[in-house]
Amino acid sequence: MTPPGRTSVLLLRLAAPLQSWGDRSMFNRRETRPEPTKSGVVGLLAAAAGRSRHADVDDLAGLGLGIRVDQPGSLLRDYHTVSDYRGRPLLSAAVSANGVQKPTSPAKRTHVTQRFYLQDAVFLAAVEGPGELITALEHAVRHPAFPLSLGRRSCVPAQPLVLGQRTGALEDVLRAEPWQVTKAVRNRWGRRNSNAAHVDLPATLDDPAGDEIRDDVPLSFAPTNRTFTTRRIRHTYLAAPTGLTPDPDHPPATGGHDPFALLGW
Amino acid sequence: MTQRLYIDVHVVQTVPPANLNRDDQGNPKEAVFGGVRRSRVSSQAWKRATRQHFDTQVPEPDRATRTKRIAQELTARIVRSTGLERDDSTRLAEALLAQLGLSQGKKASDTAYLLFYGNAQLDAVAALVAERATDLVALDEKALAEEVKELPVVESFSTGHPVGVALFGRMVADIPKLNVDAAVQVAHAISTHETQLEFDYFTAVDDQNERDETGAGMIGTIGFNSATLYRYATVGFAQLVENLGGDTDAALDALDGFVDGFVLSAPTGYQNSFAHRTRPSLVAVVVRTDQPVNLVSAFEEPVATKAGIQAESARRLAEAYTGEARTWGDAPLYGAASHIFTTDEPRTKDTAEALARAFGESVPFADLRTTLRTHITSALGEEA
Repeated sequence: MTPPGRTSVLLLRLAAPLQSWGDRSMFNRRETRPEPTKSGVVGLLAAAAGRSRHADVDDLAGLGLGIRVDQPGSLLRDYHTVSDYRGRPLLSAAVSANGVQKPTSPAKRTHVTQRFYLQDAVFLAAVEGPGELITALEHAVRHPAFPLSLGRRSCVPAQPLVLGQRTGALEDVLRAEPWQVTKAVRNRWGRRNSNAAHVDLPATLDDPAGDEIRDDVPLSFAPTNRTFTTRRIRHTYLAAPTGLTPDPDHPPATGGHDPFALLGW
Repeated sequence: MTQRLYIDVHVVQTVPPANLNRDDQGNPKEAVFGGVRRSRVSSQAWKRATRQHFDTQVPEPDRATRTKRIAQELTARIVRSTGLERDDSTRLAEALLAQLGLSQGKKASDTAYLLFYGNAQLDAVAALVAERATDLVALDEKALAEEVKELPVVESFSTGHPVGVALFGRMVADIPKLNVDAAVQVAHAISTHETQLEFDYFTAVDDQNERDETGAGMIGTIGFNSATLYRYATVGFAQLVENLGGDTDAALDALDGFVDGFVLSAPTGYQNSFAHRTRPSLVAVVVRTDQPVNLVSAFEEPVATKAGIQAESARRLAEAYTGEARTWGDAPLYGAASHIFTTDEPRTKDTAEALARAFGESVPFADLRTTLRTHITSALGEEA
């Protein structure tokens, strides 16, 4: 519990076989960003809190967001066909006078779409805001009003989703949290990296002075009026604890100089 | 209904070599999870199968009781918004509903389905008379019917939906008032172990023409794999009740039909070549009052391909389930399972014991469905 008036940080572990964080793709090709979007995280929190699509989300969109990429995953393209499950022609967007959708004419039976997912990815999302709001959101995510999903409804989050609250600056909190990968992945990495105590993980942080712009801050989720605005972000690498114990007899083979470290290799 | 009530359905099911959900290359869909390749069946494929099964199994609810229920719901709303006596409100509600002609059953197309209305629609109809309720009640039957005819009741009720839509949702991008939020969430099914994509090379020979043409008439390959799948779905009961206009009984029926359909259906891709229809080796239902819990993390470390992937997968699921409850200290409201593993068999003894610790003794699937219903009903009763 945080004292009133203080800021607090909520940590979410966004992991599942599949996730999908679209930002501006429409129609038949639904793409995903390589990391969670602010609108995706805000949407998840709003769904947990039981807000309708028409509800105001300004307070949530105003929260600071930091994303740490613990496991980048890879891109999956899902070939997805849409047809009426009763074998009828698909319905068009036009409606008849009494509000019933008309069938497509000429009859169209299958609609092909491409949907992209991130497979096998793990992200650590830190949400920073006023203590009371963060506490309310933590409770909401543990007792969500709607089933939560990672960007698309079929992407059910794997547990644990909530890692709890931390105090401190967003970046420090993200740096301090242990690396969220399976033991097998960690040990494999350790064998290649002399069981180093820290791993450099790419991170994206909200920063008013940042040098990059993302257009994914939701102003409204209302179905006929979905609008977004921009935010400034900054990329960095954070040295996160691996939980491994370095072996002093086998120092890292780089001799302390690793020119590719900046690239996150 | 404000209470959070989620029904999780976990299924472990083994399919033989098959290709039940293919991509545009004709190969079974896959995903990488835990660093290894897995077989995948997309949520949309299994939902379609579930929905078709659901439609054949679930009888249309009886029109007369349904109309009575809508009338009750509407009456309650009119009482709330106008403060009229119940009898007067009932009169108003019935006058309003008379316009829908619900009792006659309209033309036999889509409207042969009995339509349900969400709370928003019932609110809209109650709001039509909120202003002038006192004046309307003062009128006699005939004058009341005349007055109510002027109101756009049919328009407010035009976007009803059958029970299937209450479960699976409806999305019409251009006409948001037709949208219904799905009560069901289905995850992509993935194998609990590593799979390889294999190819069946086939040649087709023209039986009529063996003399002149000794070669094959056509050659090709069919991609396939075999997998023990972890399938997960959850039903948000509050959303389902809302989609059914507050009708808890209809929601219980729909839930029961969904559980039956989700467990026993399967996508039909290439079924004549592979005859892949199996039934699950484990079905677990869990009723929770906090949040849905997907147990896929139990399989992030792939199950090793030694004896009994199926039993090992079920054992891991049971242990993940008990581990979850231990870690978070939140016992679900109710959990039960139907499965095939017995303690008499040495290879499945551990699995059966782990499952018994997690879900109690295995019960037949029909009993699982009945007790699920009983538990939800009593949970709702305590709330009321």
